[in-house]
Amino acid sequence: MSIEIPKTLDDLPNSSPRWVGRGVPRVEDPHLVTGRTEFIDNVVLPGMLHAAILRSPIAHARIRSVDTSQAEKLAGVFAVVTGEDAKRWSLPSPTMPEEWGTHCMATDKVRYVGEPVAAVAAVNRYVAEDAIELIAVDYEPLEPVADAVKAVGPDGPLVMEEKGTNVMLQRVFTWGEVDEAFADADRVFTEKFRWHRLGANPMETFGVIAQWDPVDESLTLRASVQSALHFGLGRAAVLGLASNKVRVIPHPHGGSFGGKGGTRGCDVAALLTRKAGGRPVKWIEDRSEYLTGGGSQSWDRHYEVSLAVKNDGRVTGLHVKLLDDMGATGEAFGAVNTVKPLACFTGPYAIPVARYDLTLVATNKLPQSPYRGMGPPPHNYVLEQMMDIAARGLDMDLAEIRRVNFIPKGAFPYTIPSGNEYDSGDYEAVLDKALELADYPALRDQQAAARAEGRCVGIGVVSAIEPGVFDWNAYAVVGAQGTGVPEGATVSIDVLGKITIRVGFAMEGQGQYTLATQLVADYFCVGFEDIKVVVLDTHSAPPAFGPGGSRLGVALTGAVLGACERLKAKLVKVAAGLFQMDASQVDLVDGNLVAKDVPGVEMPMAAVAGTMLGRSDLLPPGVDPRPEATYVWTAPGRTEADEQGRAKTYLTAAQAVHVVMVELDEETGLVEILEYCVVDDCGTRLNPATVEGQTEGSIAQGIGAALLEEYVYDDQAQILTSSFMDYLLPTVNEVPAMKKGIVVTPSPFTPLGAKGCGEGAMHTTPAAVLSAINDALLPLGVRANEVPASPNRLWTLIHDAKPQAAGEGPR
Amino acid sequence: MTTQQTISVTVNGTTHEALVDPRTTLADFLRGELALTGTHVGCEHGVCGACTVLLEGRSVRSCLMLAVQADGTSLTTVEGMEEDGNLHPIQLAFVEEHGLQCGFCTPGFLMTVRELLENSPDPSDEEIRDALGGQICRCTGYQSILRSVKLAAAKLQGAPLAGTTESP
Repeated sequence: MSIEIPKTLDDLPNSSPRWVGRGVPRVEDPHLVTGRTEFIDNVVLPGMLHAAILRSPIAHARIRSVDTSQAEKLAGVFAVVTGEDAKRWSLPSPTMPEEWGTHCMATDKVRYVGEPVAAVAAVNRYVAEDAIELIAVDYEPLEPVADAVKAVGPDGPLVMEEKGTNVMLQRVFTWGEVDEAFADADRVFTEKFRWHRLGANPMETFGVIAQWDPVDESLTLRASVQSALHFGLGRAAVLGLASNKVRVIPHPHGGSFGGKGGTRGCDVAALLTRKAGGRPVKWIEDRSEYLTGGGSQSWDRHYEVSLAVKNDGRVTGLHVKLLDDMGATGEAFGAVNTVKPLACFTGPYAIPVARYDLTLVATNKLPQSPYRGMGPPPHNYVLEQMMDIAARGLDMDLAEIRRVNFIPKGAFPYTIPSGNEYDSGDYEAVLDKALELADYPALRDQQAAARAEGRCVGIGVVSAIEPGVFDWNAYAVVGAQGTGVPEGATVSIDVLGKITIRVGFAMEGQGQYTLATQLVADYFCVGFEDIKVVVLDTHSAPPAFGPGGSRLGVALTGAVLGACERLKAKLVKVAAGLFQMDASQVDLVDGNLVAKDVPGVEMPMAAVAGTMLGRSDLLPPGVDPRPEATYVWTAPGRTEADEQGRAKTYLTAAQAVHVVMVELDEETGLVEILEYCVVDDCGTRLNPATVEGQTEGSIAQGIGAALLEEYVYDDQAQILTSSFMDYLLPTVNEVPAMKKGIVVTPSPFTPLGAKGCGEGAMHTTPAAVLSAINDALLPLGVRANEVPASPNRLWTLIHDAKPQAAGEGPR
Repeated sequence: MTTQQTISVTVNGTTHEALVDPRTTLADFLRGELALTGTHVGCEHGVCGACTVLLEGRSVRSCLMLAVQADGTSLTTVEGMEEDGNLHPIQLAFVEEHGLQCGFCTPGFLMTVRELLENSPDPSDEEIRDALGGQICRCTGYQSILRSVKLAAAKLQGAPLAGTTESP
């Protein structure tokens, strides 16, 4: 049955939309503000045990022996597992690139600090923690692979000896006549950059309750997972179980941002419940485990970037050389981080040709995970720094060089050199609005006045693309196969006209249940109180990926409206039978089934649903009597990648311009944000208040990335940041007030014209803050090319450039 | 293992007597023994503030306190905020101003704001930032939380205000 999903709000079958497009309160909130939401650690099952995991204290060592005998004797301990159990009951993790995986617990050697070595299930977490202290591991320390740049060379230790190299992947992608562009350029600018490890840190860590059924050898996982279906398939593969023998019940979770991780801990819990004869085993990752061994770390990059530029400011070529420190394995999508930039390689600019020289290196650090943005934020940062460098080299204004290079409004849909297609946009309008909102000339005057007083003040003007609605083909070059990422929803009406929406993803914080409710309320002209959103487990849910890759707002809209359309078609058919008319003569209007040409002949939707549920004898032949329908939406028009990785990947391209003014304290190296302005275009705003929340939250994460957040490893690959006292998250005192503006160019390719917007400003803010810092540093003749631009780094830069200014230095 | 101790604590007006291990944290006691799972644990080292509860009206980190230290005291948790089944004005303000996303940190914020507004019914921006400086939210970027606190203060002072969310 082919259906037409509404393209605009006017296409909804009601007189006027009342909910979609408004910043309505969220249906999730009453449970959350009263502490009633069922986060995984709230769940208690009969007979449940609690797990604790023993983790490696050293980065690289051979395991001579693991002695668990004392732990096994401790009262209250039910099961102890080690690498031997992992070998017996599981396989090495699948990876990207392929065959860079290990078991969930170390078998032959440990490869990073925090790697699981053994685990215990006991009556409570306290006893479990006591027990792991009784496990004796004999390590033979090996020289660690601590420096990714050195690790590329032929000498030195190897993370995986059997590979014969630490290089996981080395590829050069060339899109167009790049050498010619650089040869023909008036100017070529080249710079090196360093982006240090940082990561997601949702306030809730990962948690799972695993329960093994020894009779039919199946596994039930209640977990705080972002994508239950995908997670379950992965666990089945690792645990050697049939895919229908792993059932995942996704629980609401306290944020993810891509970095919920948890696969190893989940697999360990699965081994423990199996060893404990099927007693449920809860494992809640603690914060220190998350920071050192969880889904916490992303993007550890060394860049060298060149820009070919004409004297009029047009950028004619881009060459990006990236070496990324993947950590010990390829198990957690780290490589995906490095190839997602193909979806937006040349940013919002009409740069005709580009080259990407990509090297992925294994080291003895935690394997990289996804984080909001999934890799482009550092790429956008280096591209935007290069735009600034070119502007200064040509004596152009920061805003003007961007304007000169923007993809023009009339050029959409526009295919970028790396193959992705941008759907729509009006980048100059966004820039103009941002400059106006910030009062850019006035900011420049303020800066001049501040500089005259000897203050170190700078302004950044940057732009970036947020690719929205991911497709697996975007990551084909590192081994993700195929196209299509499904999102399904089932909408059903009960005998009293109440509506249930069933989905396959758990609440995560973006307000998606509210969005689903808004859509159905408008479609069937009912109130919020008439609708309930229910999350199903992987045995019963329609195919669903859930949030990720700035997709769910768009994908869920497609799924819910598709289900509504199908349900409407059923209701129309039944009503037509009851009216003794042809279905073409009946329509759904404001929640009633009406005969189009016969005034007064109509039935409320609830009455039609009631007839279907109670009087199947009255239904026309061939009509399914259930007043419910399912639709599974996938992004249309996606293509397979060619040999250079080019494909139509992400469906939408939101765009933003940020204008930021900062002041550096030369005495301390601290940065204060004086002004923050953002204008973005993410198409139709289905709930402006939740979109605004994504913008504000992602600006805060971007500020953390730019100024504070860094996982520090020493030269023995020992992690030095294992608590929130070392790994600094932005507090209310680091996040400034923001001026916000919007431009709306609806996507021609999506339901209702919305574009992906969840990653939001993470794509733009780090670049914007660094641009402003470098503008401030301009009179000193130095550049901050390392992220985060932490006080120690900035102070050193200032001190080296201008020793008298920095005095004695920070204490 | 150390001998268990009997403690008596009053939580949200109900007095509980319980036998606890001396090493049990107050957070684990509230969540595990009393099934008051609205208090969340985000870091277990006193930085994130998610586990904040009120002890004799003062905010404390329940992850850094032992249950035995709370013996004989009166506590308030997020479960104690509703009045006659209605959301407390602070809770209402957070809903109306979208002062939460994933909501995991929210109970800690609510407790902290309740303490702030009881001591300073009309706080300045600086006072609000000071009070919230020990609470981490990873989702919102804090701007909607600041708006929520302002709205909560106004509601508690009886102003007939609504938030910026829209209704049809």
